[in-house]
Order: sequence, then structure tokens, then C-alpha cells
Amino acid sequence: MLNYWVSVLTLGLIFAMATMGLNVKWGWAGELDLAMFGFIAVGAYVYGVVVLPPSKLPAPDHYILGLQWGFFPGLIIAMIVVSLLSLVVGAVALRKLRGDYFGIVTVAFVLCLAIFISQYTFLFDGFPGLDGVPQPFNGVLNLSPTGYGIFFFALTILFTFIAYFILELLANSQFGRALRSVREDQSAAMAYGRNVYVLKLKAYVIGSAVAGMSGAFFMAFMSAFNPYAWAPAETFLLFGAIFVGGSGNGRGVILGALFVFVAIQEITRLFPVLPGNAQASDALRFVIIGFLIIAVLWFRPQGLLPEVRDRDGEPGPTLKDRSISFRDGWVHRGQRIIRIANRSKSEAK
Amino acid sequence: MHNFLLATGFGLVTASIIAISAVALSLQYSVTSVPNFAHGEVMMVGAYSAWVVSKHSASIPLEILVSIFFGAIVSWSINRFVLQPFLHRKAKNLVLFVLTIACSLILQNLVLLFFGGAPRAMVMSVGGVHHVGPFRFTGMGEFTIATAVVVCLLVHVVLKYTFFGKAQRAVADHRELARVSGIHADRTVGLTWLFAGGITGLSGFILAITIGSLTPTTGSAYLLVIFAAAVVGGIGQAYGAIIGSLVIGLTMEWSALYLPSDYKIFIAFGILITMLIVRPGGIITTRLRNVAE
Repeated sequence: MLNYWVSVLTLGLIFAMATMGLNVKWGWAGELDLAMFGFIAVGAYVYGVVVLPPSKLPAPDHYILGLQWGFFPGLIIAMIVVSLLSLVVGAVALRKLRGDYFGIVTVAFVLCLAIFISQYTFLFDGFPGLDGVPQPFNGVLNLSPTGYGIFFFALTILFTFIAYFILELLANSQFGRALRSVREDQSAAMAYGRNVYVLKLKAYVIGSAVAGMSGAFFMAFMSAFNPYAWAPAETFLLFGAIFVGGSGNGRGVILGALFVFVAIQEITRLFPVLPGNAQASDALRFVIIGFLIIAVLWFRPQGLLPEVRDRDGEPGPTLKDRSISFRDGWVHRGQRIIRIANRSKSEAK
Repeated sequence: MHNFLLATGFGLVTASIIAISAVALSLQYSVTSVPNFAHGEVMMVGAYSAWVVSKHSASIPLEILVSIFFGAIVSWSINRFVLQPFLHRKAKNLVLFVLTIACSLILQNLVLLFFGGAPRAMVMSVGGVHHVGPFRFTGMGEFTIATAVVVCLLVHVVLKYTFFGKAQRAVADHRELARVSGIHADRTVGLTWLFAGGITGLSGFILAITIGSLTPTTGSAYLLVIFAAAVVGGIGQAYGAIIGSLVIGLTMEWSALYLPSDYKIFIAFGILITMLIVRPGGIITTRLRNVAE
């Protein structure tokens, strides 16, 4: 029983890392990135081929590299490769596209990536995928299976915290504030001299790097990965986690991820299995998540733990708050300037 | 040359299937300005309802009517019960997009829950192969092309010559202005979802009988291609969607002459990206040009 809960929580934390990465994109920068699971998958594959021994599979099955370099190089290389990939995708998709078109392009990208990786067997062995990836440090530690499970859990907790602290520092830095200004009002940010494209691209790459890390942990934990383990629809679960937890709030999204990937998973497991429909419990889980996303957006759009606003309590420009800030002197002055500008325009005529 | 003509024939049929769906998507997108991620699921609902009917009777007109009916109902409900309440709260456009994603998740998995993931056979007695000019078509292919022509003409006539169409164009141009001019914007939008949903349901049925089988992901697998066709043609252009579908359908089938057919979707993706970056208004841009720039 202990084994079971440790492994469930480990998986939950691995998805929490991915959700933190998505939070950088959606929560900070407002990018509707639907390709997130693609980056997780690439992270998993790259970690796998760095850690595995060279491919000895019969042709046409084959995977590249096979360096046997161990956990940390695998993790770092996975993050670098995913960052570079997302840099290319983001550089194209973020250039000119409006939010909804950006979402469509990222979906298109991840679908094509899924087809490419499953068909092109030379790269990551296509449909069979990678398996037998050694567990990190298992050879050195000589732990019992339970002990190793707990060790890996601790390792995951450690890296979740490292990622959390780095991201929190970033969120409160000048960069994080600039990003939020872009999210709230792109034109205003531009008027203040922000390079919106570069800021968004940076957020996209940082978020993807965290996704690559979670992918590497996923591979290290599961020790196998193939295209069946990888449905682009899983990205929506990550979005569900963000909405439930509170987009923009680091602690919130971890909570949301644990809720979606641990609590709902365990609840749907309790439902009786329908005869002749093996996918029923998965389907039910997705249906619940779908309704959950709608319900949260309706009843509590800010999530369980709302985003922390500025220290002086200045409210963000959501629509409701804007009506309050109209009473603010600055806005009055702004309106007067506009009025004067309009008057001089009409006088010029 | 022979292969090329054969591929062109296939391409025309593929383009017709895409065109029916893309016309509906384009119309709904332009009027409501919400990209409908659940479009593929509406197609699938149409196809599954026709499949249920086909279990009990072999009447094709009945199957068509049922697919139109359920497509329209589901599409209308998405708007009425999910999107409209949020719209009245002045939700951001991206939030509405996320909501359609949630709807697609729900619909797809409800079907998976009730019908299972196994493919369902969807067969229609196919007439023999005919030669039309240089091309070869099956009876099925001719039926598909004819339906596409009828649907596109219908959309064109509705948009151009009816009050509903005029209202739709007005709402697409500027929702608030349309409202102050006395157009019931909510009703127009609701009817648009109904109308577009009916066409989408029909396109799902046609897609399923062309492929010959039906799974819960049949519709969503085509979503990207349909989006690409609608974007290439220009959102909101009935004729544009036809041209976009021809471009996408023909290039996809021609590419299959040289590449493995699984890579067809790459072509659609490439065209989509290029269009969005080079000419986001689509091939045909008659209006909104000055407003957008």
C-alpha cells in the first residue's frame, strides 16, 4: 500500500512540474500553448536515449545516441533539446499570431510531431518506443524496491522545489512583471518599450524547459515511453490543473496538479469497470476534467489559490476592477487628455 | 500521368469532404469569433447518430437528416449552455476557446464511454466506378462532390439573399454596431451555431461513410485539416472555404504520390503556418482588410 501511494504521489509531482512549466506560458504570459505534452514527450525521449546503452534493436527498429551518461547529463540534455525545439516553434508561432491562431498552430505542431515520431523509427523507435531505461542511481544505492521508491519520491520532491523556487524568483523579477504586463495589455506593454515578442518567446522557452525536466523524470520513473503513452489531449489535463489551482500562482498550480492527477485519478478508479470497454475509466476522467474546467471558470475563475497581486494592493485590470479604477484620479486626467485631443482635432477641421 | 489523374480525382473527393466542414467552421468562426475546437466532435456526433439509425433502418435520407439534426442540436447547445453565459460575463476570447476545448473533451469521451473505442463499420452501397472526363469516381465520390456543391451554394444563398444572412454578416463585422442597428445579436449567433452545426453533422456523416469506419477520434483527427482549409480560404468566406479545401485536398493527395500517406497532414500543417504568417486574411480578402490593419 505504501508503495502504491508513493508511486501515485511521485507521478503527481512529475505532472506538477509540467503544470508549473505550463503556468509560465499560460499563467504569466497568456500563451495558449496546446503543444505542452509534445515537449514533455520529447524530454522523455531525449532523456531515454542519453541514458540507454547504444541501440541493438533489429532493423528497422532503432534509436539514436545511446550514450549511457547517467541521470544528471540526461536531465540537462533533455532540457536543452526541448528548449531549442520550443525556441524554433515559438519563434515561428509567436511572431505574428493572435492568441487563438497561436493555439491552433501549436495543436497542429504537436499532432505532426506525434505522427513523425511514431512513423520515423530511426529516431526513437517509432511505435514500440523506448523501454528498459535504467532507474537513476539504483546500481549505486542497492535499495529494496520500497526504499528505492521512497528515494525517487524524495528526488522528485527536491527537484519540484528547486523548480518552484527558481520560477518564483523569476515571477517576482523584472522579467516576471514585464511578462504579466504583456499578458494584461500587450499594447500598453509595447508603449512602455517592452519587446513583446522576445518576452513571450523567453516565457515559452522557459516553460518548455520545465516540461522537458518533467519529461525526463517521467521517463526515469516509468522506464519506458511510447506514442501510446502520449496523447496530445493530456495537455488539457495540465490546463485543468492550472485552472483549478489558480493560474499565475506557483503553489496553486502544484495543488491543482495534485488534485487533477492524484485525487481525480483515484476517484475514477473507484467506479465500476464497464464490461467490454477498457477505456471507460479514462474516458470518465476526461469527462470529469472537462466539466471541472467549465465549472471552475464559471464559479471561481481565479482558481483555488488566486494569483498574488502587487504589494500595494493595486488590482489587476480585470473588467470588474476597471470600473472601480475609473474613479481614480489618473484615469480622470487621462480622459481629460483624450477629450482635449478630440476637441483640438475637431477644431482643426 | 495516370497516377496523377487518379490522385487528382481522390483530391477532389477529399476537398469536397473538407469543404462541407470548412464552410460551416468558417461561417461560425466569422460570426461568433470563437474558434470552435469542438468542431471535430460535432462531426463525430453527427456520424455516430447516423450510425445508430443505420442499425435500425437502411434509409440514407433518414441517416442524413438525423446527422444534421444532432449536429445542429449539439452545436447549438455548446453555444447556449456554455459559451453564451460566459460571453455575457464578457469573458476573454481565449477563455471561450478554452471552453470549446473542454466541450470537445467532454463530447469525445462521452462517446468513448457509451460506444467504446472500437471502430464501427459505416458502409454505404457504393455504385460502380465511372469515368468522368479524365477522372475516375465511385458513386460515393460523386455523391460527396454533389453534396459539397449543394451545401456551398446553400450557404452562399443564405448569406447573400436572406435576412438571416445579412444579420450574420452584420454581426460578423461588428457585433455592437449590429446590435444598435436593431439586430438581435444573440439570436443570430445562436442560429448560426445551429445552422453551422447541421452542416457539420452532415460533413461528419459523409466523412464516416467515405472512410468506411468510425471511432471517437475520427472528427478531431480532421480538425486541423479543416482549420487549415478555412484559414487558407479566409475566415467567413463561403467561396474561400471551397478554394481553401481544394488547395488543401489536392496538395494532400498529390503529396501522397511521393511521400508516405501518413505525412499528408504535414502538408496541411505547412500550408496553414505559411498562410497565417504570410497572408492571415486568406486567399480571398474582400472586407475587413482596412479594419484589421
